[in-house]
Amino acid sequence: MTRKIGVYICECGPNISEKVNIDKVIDSVSSMEDVSVVDRYKLLCSVDGKKFLEEEIKKHGLTHLVVAACSPKQHQQTFMEVCERAGINPYLFQLANIREQCAWITDDKDKATEKAIKITKAAIRRVRYHYPLEKKEIECNPNVLVIGGGIAGIEASLQLADSHRKVYLVEKTSSLGGLIKNFEKIFPKLRSTSELIQKRISDVNKNKNIEVFTDCEIEEILGFFGSFEVKAKKKTDSEIVEFDVGAVVVATGSNLFDPKKTPQYGYGEIDNIYTAVEFEKMNLSGKISLKDGKTPKSAAIIHCVGRDEVGYCSSVCCMYSLKFARYLKDKIPDIKVSNFYSDLCIPGKLYQAFYDNTRAKDVEFIRSKNVKITKKDGKINVMYSDENGKMNNNQFDMVILSPAIKPAENTSKIANVVGIAQDDKGFFAEEHEKLGPVSTSTEGVYIVGSAQGPKNIPETIVQSEAASGKILSSLIPGRKIEPEVKISHISESFCTGCKTCISVCPYGVIDFDESRKISVVNEIICRGCGNCVAACPSGAITLKHFTFDQIYQELMEAVR
Amino acid sequence: MNDKNNYNDVLVIGAGIAGIEASLSLSKADRKVHLIERTSYTGGNVIKFEEVFSNMECSTCMISPRQQDLLQDKNVTLTMLAEIKEVKGSVGNFTVKIHKKARYVDLQNCIGCNACFEPCPVSLENEFEEGLSKRKAIYIPCAGALPNVPMIDTEHCLRFNGESCQACQEACAFEAIDFNQKDENLELKVGAILVATGFNIFDPREIPKYGYGKFENVYTSFEFERLYASNGPTEGKIILKDGKTPKSAAIIHCVGRDEVGYCSSVCCMSSLKFNHYLKSKIPEIKIFELYRELSIPGKSHQKFYENMKETGVEMIRTADVEVTKQGEKMIVRYASVDNKKVNIPVDMVILSSAIRPSEDVVKLAEILGIPLDEYGFFKEKSQDGFSVVTSKPGIFVAGCIQGPKNIQESVSQAIAAVGKILSST
Repeated sequence: MTRKIGVYICECGPNISEKVNIDKVIDSVSSMEDVSVVDRYKLLCSVDGKKFLEEEIKKHGLTHLVVAACSPKQHQQTFMEVCERAGINPYLFQLANIREQCAWITDDKDKATEKAIKITKAAIRRVRYHYPLEKKEIECNPNVLVIGGGIAGIEASLQLADSHRKVYLVEKTSSLGGLIKNFEKIFPKLRSTSELIQKRISDVNKNKNIEVFTDCEIEEILGFFGSFEVKAKKKTDSEIVEFDVGAVVVATGSNLFDPKKTPQYGYGEIDNIYTAVEFEKMNLSGKISLKDGKTPKSAAIIHCVGRDEVGYCSSVCCMYSLKFARYLKDKIPDIKVSNFYSDLCIPGKLYQAFYDNTRAKDVEFIRSKNVKITKKDGKINVMYSDENGKMNNNQFDMVILSPAIKPAENTSKIANVVGIAQDDKGFFAEEHEKLGPVSTSTEGVYIVGSAQGPKNIPETIVQSEAASGKILSSLIPGRKIEPEVKISHISESFCTGCKTCISVCPYGVIDFDESRKISVVNEIICRGCGNCVAACPSGAITLKHFTFDQIYQELMEAVR
Repeated sequence: MNDKNNYNDVLVIGAGIAGIEASLSLSKADRKVHLIERTSYTGGNVIKFEEVFSNMECSTCMISPRQQDLLQDKNVTLTMLAEIKEVKGSVGNFTVKIHKKARYVDLQNCIGCNACFEPCPVSLENEFEEGLSKRKAIYIPCAGALPNVPMIDTEHCLRFNGESCQACQEACAFEAIDFNQKDENLELKVGAILVATGFNIFDPREIPKYGYGKFENVYTSFEFERLYASNGPTEGKIILKDGKTPKSAAIIHCVGRDEVGYCSSVCCMSSLKFNHYLKSKIPEIKIFELYRELSIPGKSHQKFYENMKETGVEMIRTADVEVTKQGEKMIVRYASVDNKKVNIPVDMVILSSAIRPSEDVVKLAEILGIPLDEYGFFKEKSQDGFSVVTSKPGIFVAGCIQGPKNIQESVSQAIAAVGKILSST
């Protein structure tokens, strides 16, 4: 094919023209191979400028376009659209940035001109090695798999089902409701949990769009955003159920730190020491009592159990510890309740008032360190050092431990099956700490609730709604998905099968083909980050639009 | 759903990070979005920050691609310098009246070259930089504010005050300056509304004992953010008013906590971030953090705190702090845990103020017919402190207008509101 490259230099008003001798640039590049037209224009991004370019492409029958103007951030998209309108593939275009990287930062006009020539020449030489890239479209399946039938999974399922999505809700235990079924009330308004959760469970059961699988675990998930094939196994009869979905919501919840790992708290050794969940269950049964059936006259609530071991503040324990004080005071009004805490973590607009109200109910707060629990004269002795480092002892009938929240046991297994990463604490890792809190490195897989990190019920519900927001806005019935165009390609003849690329791919999109003993990129879900290209020891991987030739030729011209 | 009385379009109020994320997501679902912003730029408070905790990511680098996407999004109509005047109707059919102030600079023609600034003869305090630098009557609040198009401040522009100056217009090569632009009244029909107008900080002048406004070198968290910002008034150089480098600094947490009546949840982490800011620029500086209760919830924050402790910061627990002045130095006087009064002389004091709803909250709540809670934030229907659903069907909230929260939580809420809007309207 004969190339006919058009090169257009934007004056950008005075921005480029006053700093760069544009005529000199035109002179210098006109003789380059395949260059057919070189011209200048006042402002190419203007309405008239775009029209001018479009007409030029058609008039001269150009095959490739180079624009020397501003940063690609500003107008790459603009000029690619011009190409499309003029009938040439938008990837046969290159933008040379002679404004931000040249005119605006170079005071000397001769030097700026010299630099602009290099940048423009580099772009021209590069564009000669461009080849057309085509957008693909794939059909998508709008159905959703939700893993985990706690409050997070329930809320996600209901909202998706309300939008007429078919939802497969898979729960590993025999019933829906998760951890919070055990709670009598939820802070800070102390509303009844059962009202909330029972109503939601019945909403799920009534909803024709939601198919619930209890006693069921996910065995295998294959595919990609828009088209996942799911296999789940029923625990009761080992039957395998299969269904196809376009997205996955992982809502598998969390677990509590096991206080047996911190023997100083006497848990498992001394009677009447309970974990938070044990105490919730006792309270839910309607009666708070000691092992011998008597009513406790005093109770200590120990905050931050396991905080040092897990290495983070679990964010909800202060608040539920305060709730426990309220449970105790409600059921046994004359009970003495003492909270042993290190730092009071009650973030958010409603919690200070809850704390103040709890304190007003004659609940004691002791700032303490180094808590050690022993048995003494039939009572439980809580030994601690106060703020001034002085050791103190108090005796109680009952002790409640508020343990840290940690990832559920099966987190690694699920991470493997679903193909998502875990963070350094073992929770599922979000795509971006700030901007992608419910997304993961695998497109179409979302994480919600305490499986992503410790959080309270309102925060969990918001995440579930956010995951459904992500799904409802990106996976739309009847609409096709457009995968990334600039993706990696592995040459079969050069690949030695060392699998290095598989280990560096942050999106898990490279598979190993056992029969051919080579790595293969899933072209639908590759995001074109280029990690594998840099890591491949055999040079077998090419990133489209950033090929070795394209970069080499561009660089050679730039450093000439 | 597109019949006469049921509109699919969505109104998003506030182009901060929550409003931007929500608008982009709604657009992906092919919803037309009308994004209304009070100021002349997008990005809200987040663009004031140089870095965000806990991974110290560059804040503007994080948000600017999203701002770019927003400006190029064909489904999003961004209206800046605009104010909501009236909202009538109900879910699926709201009529919204908007007043849009003239910018006097054409968004299409202006290329953001800034050639108009220099000839402007007016010079005044730049509010965006907390008064730490000057601006002209035609200006962009800071480098990198997007869209990169200035506005004319008619209150101070000579031409709008009876003089014949047209220096900016003469300097513009693109005929982008248009003195004939007029304020506009717009009317929109939308099916749902998302309120994401963000936060402000507690004004420490309300508590005279911190010495703010009285002593030099006592800064609010916003001021200190700008002092550290590479696109700020000192280009990121942390200096005292006399140009010297501070040798010591005190960061006081919980400023205004008692007055607002809640823990603002992000100030401990941002205070620790300030320690990082100071240490990274002035390694030998001595830093004191005076805190009450360390509130660093979440899986990734403890590690940051441990790292900060390793920098040698002195963490002092106290609920009683006062700032006075002695000679060149400020004296931070606090009650220690064993109730002794201790004095520490420092060069600089940074006040970590509580988070409050943005100024316009009362008026906006009235227009929308949504109640405020006892703290002045928008009240969520469930009263659980975090939900995005208000008592009025079709109207949702996201970000700090609903309560103090960090960026991750604000973004979660924004996308949650999108979920609610897409599934209910």
